[in-house]
Amino acid sequence: MKLCGGYDIKMAGRPAVEIESPVEPKELFLPRFSCRFRFSELCIGDGQHVRRGQVLARDPGNHGVPLLAPRDGTAHLDLEKEHIVLRGLSANPPEALETPEAPAHISRELGSVGMKRYKLLTLGAWQYMFTAHNGALPDPFGSPQAVLVSTLRLDPFLARGDIQMKTMLSNFTRGLEQLQSLLEYQPIYLVLPKVATAFAEQVREAVRGYAYIKPVQVPLRYPFDHFKILAKALGLSHDDEHPTWALRVGGILAMDRSLTMSLPCDTKVISIGGSGAIAPTHLTVMPGYPIKELLSARIAAGPVRIINGGALTGQAIGPEQLGIDVECAGLTLLSEHVNREFLGFVRPGSDRRSYSRCFLSALRRPMPERMTTAVRGERRPCVACGFCEEVCPVGIMPHLLHKLIYQNDLDAVERARLDLCIACGLCSFVCPSKIALGEEFRQTAETIRQEHQN
Amino acid sequence: MKILTQLFNQARSHFAEGGLFCRLHPLFAATENFFFAPSARTMNAPFVRDPLDVKRFMSTVIIALVPVLAVSLYCFGLRVLAMIAVSYAVGGMVEVLFAIVRKEEINEGFLVTGLLFPLILPPGLPLWMVGVGVAFGVLVGKELFGGTGRNLFNPALVGRVFLGIAYPVAMSGNWLIPGSWPYGRIFQYASSTTVDAVTTATPLGLAKQGQFAGTFDLFVGLVPGSVGETSAAAILLGGILLLLTRVASWRIVVATLGSFLALETLLFYVLPTPIPPPQWQLLAGGILFGTFFMATDPVTSPATGPAKWAYGIIIGVTVGMIRHLTGYVEGVMFAILLGNIVAPILDEITISLRLRRLRNEK
Repeated sequence: MKLCGGYDIKMAGRPAVEIESPVEPKELFLPRFSCRFRFSELCIGDGQHVRRGQVLARDPGNHGVPLLAPRDGTAHLDLEKEHIVLRGLSANPPEALETPEAPAHISRELGSVGMKRYKLLTLGAWQYMFTAHNGALPDPFGSPQAVLVSTLRLDPFLARGDIQMKTMLSNFTRGLEQLQSLLEYQPIYLVLPKVATAFAEQVREAVRGYAYIKPVQVPLRYPFDHFKILAKALGLSHDDEHPTWALRVGGILAMDRSLTMSLPCDTKVISIGGSGAIAPTHLTVMPGYPIKELLSARIAAGPVRIINGGALTGQAIGPEQLGIDVECAGLTLLSEHVNREFLGFVRPGSDRRSYSRCFLSALRRPMPERMTTAVRGERRPCVACGFCEEVCPVGIMPHLLHKLIYQNDLDAVERARLDLCIACGLCSFVCPSKIALGEEFRQTAETIRQEHQN
Repeated sequence: MKILTQLFNQARSHFAEGGLFCRLHPLFAATENFFFAPSARTMNAPFVRDPLDVKRFMSTVIIALVPVLAVSLYCFGLRVLAMIAVSYAVGGMVEVLFAIVRKEEINEGFLVTGLLFPLILPPGLPLWMVGVGVAFGVLVGKELFGGTGRNLFNPALVGRVFLGIAYPVAMSGNWLIPGSWPYGRIFQYASSTTVDAVTTATPLGLAKQGQFAGTFDLFVGLVPGSVGETSAAAILLGGILLLLTRVASWRIVVATLGSFLALETLLFYVLPTPIPPPQWQLLAGGILFGTFFMATDPVTSPATGPAKWAYGIIIGVTVGMIRHLTGYVEGVMFAILLGNIVAPILDEITISLRLRRLRNEK
C-alpha cells in the first residue's frame, strides 16, 4: 500500500455511535436530483396512489436506476421544486416483493448472476455502487476487475461504516457472500482501518474464513477512504472494459437486504454532525425525509449552514431542497462565522488545531476543534509554503497548478495532471494564503472539459 | 472593543468605493483586519479551513526573533530600537504606497522584512542609511517584482547589498563592541561617535589575520558583529521554534548547515593556512542567522522538496568558499542571494522531473 499526503482533520461535533430512528414523517419530499442521479423519467401520474417499493421515476442516463417509494401514499408531482411529494403515508411493514422478470437477453447471457444483478438494480441496491476511478455508476451487467469494499468514512461528517456494521455484522458478512455470488473470480478487497480495537478484531475474525476476501488496512487519515486512492494504492489500474467496482458498508447491507430478503432498499443510515448540531448522531432515515423536521430539534441557535455531505466535499443546501436525497450519507451543520475575533493572530491558540504547529495546541494532544464557516484569514498571494503539496493525496502540485491557472496556460495545467485531482479539498483547507484552490481546480477542469468537446 | 467595532463600522463607508478616502482603502482594511479577524465566510467546499493564515505565519517569525532582539538590545543598546523604528517607518511607507497604487491589500510580509533588515546591519550605522537601505530593498527587491509572493530575492538582503556597495566604509567599520556585564548597553544609546565603542573588526575579520575569538563568546554573543547575528544561542532558540512550527523548512536548514560543516571540516584539514575549526565557523558571522531566518523565506526559496536540498547545499558551500577562498570576510549574504537566483531553476528541474513521472500516472 503506497499512500501519500492526507491529514486527519479533527472537528468538534462528531456524531455519536448510536443509530437513532426518527419518528415517522407525515410527508416525504423526494428530490429528483442528487449528486449522480437525475430521475427525469417519471413513472407515475400526479395524485396516483403508490405502494412501498413502487418505482416513482427512473434515471435513463444511469442504467435506469429507480427512485422507489419508501412508503405507501399519494404521490404529488411538485415539478417546480423538482420534488416528488408523498402524502397520506401509511407505515405498512415492508413485504418481500416479487422481482420483475429480467429482460430475456440478460438472463440468457448472464444466467442467475444476471437475474441477481437485475434484482439489485430494481430494488434500489445498485445505487450504492461506484466506479472506483471516477465515482460514476457502473454498468450492473458489466464485468469488474475487482471490487473494493470500504468500511471507512473519513470526511467529517458522514455515516461511519463501523457503526453500521456494529449492529448488523451478520448482515454485513452475508452481504459480502451475496456480493461474491455476483462475481466470477474477481477479488474483493475489504478496506479496514488500521486500528487495534476489539471491534476491528471481531470484523477481521468474521471475514477470516472467506478466501475471496482480501483484507486491506489503511490508516485513519482523510482522504484515504476515497475509492480512487484506494484503487491506485492497490495497483488496480483504470480500465473502461473492466472497471473496479467500489461500495461501502451501506451498499453491502443493501445487497443483503435486496438479495437475501428481497426487500426494497428504502432506508439508510445518515449522520448529523458539526459545530451547528445539537447532540450529533446517526439516524436511520428514508429518502425524502423532510430536512426541516429532521433538524428541528438538532440545529443550534444562530445562523447555521446545512451541508449535504461532509464539510470538505459536501454541497451547501438551501431552503429549496425539502427532503433527504437518495445519495445523502450525512448532513454537516456548520455555525456561520459571526463573531470576529479581537487580535486573533496574536492569541496563543491552545484551542485551535492546525496542520502547521504555529499554535500552542501543538503542545497538547490532538483535540477536536469547533469550526465554523470562517475563512480564518485574508486572501494573500501564494507564499510557496508547500503545505498543499504535502497534504495532496494524489501527488500533484496544487501550488504549481495555481500558478499555471493564473497564467491561463491550460495546456500546461493538463500536463501538470489536473485530471488526477480528486477534489478532496485538503489543499484549500491548509492554504495559509486562503486561496480557494479546490474551487479554482473545479472550474478549470470544467473549462478544459468544454474545450475538449468543441 | 465594542467602541472599536462601531468606529470601524462608521468609517467603512468613507473608505469604500466612491467614499471620501477610497484610495486609502488598503490602509483601512489592514487596520481593521489587524484588530478583528476577517469576516469572510467560505462559499464552496471545503467549508471549513485551517486556522493558520499569513498573519500568524509571519507573527511566528517575529516571535522567533524575540530572543535575538533581546540579546542585541543588551549588547548594542537602544540604538537597535531606533534602527528598527526607522526600518519599519520607511519600509512601511513604501509598502503602503504600493498597496494604494496597486489597489491591493497591505501584506504582512513586510513586518518580517522590516525587522530582519536592521538585524543584518552593523549596529553603528547612521540611521539615514538604514532608511535608504530598507527603501531600496522593499522597492527594488520586492515591489518591482510585483509584491509579496512574487519577489525573486530576499528584500532585506537586497537592501543590504545596496548599502554594502554604496557605502562600503560605513558598512564595514561601524561595528560596536558589545556592552559588558551586568547591564550591557541596555540603557545606552551608543553610536559610531561613542568613544571606546567602535571597532573595525568582527571575529571573522580577525580570524583572517590569525586571531580567533573564544568559541563560548561566539555562542553567547559577546563579540562585535551585525545587530542580530552575534548570539548563536539566541538564534538557535528562535530557529528551533521556526522548525518546530514548520514555518522554516527543515530541509533547507539541514542542507545548508550540513554542507557548510562538511566543507569547513574539509578545508580545516586541507588548507595550508590555519583556520578556526568547523564548530567555530558555524557560530561566527551570519551563517546561523542567515540559514534560519533568510534562506528559509518560503517565497524566495524553492517550493519543492528536492530543490530545497539542492538550494541549501548551494548556500552552505558558497558561504564556506567565500569565507576561505576569496578576499571577503563573510559570504552569507551573497550565498543566499545566489541561492535565490538558482531557486526557480531548481524548482523548474524538480517540477519537470515530477511531471515526467506524473505523465504515466493513470
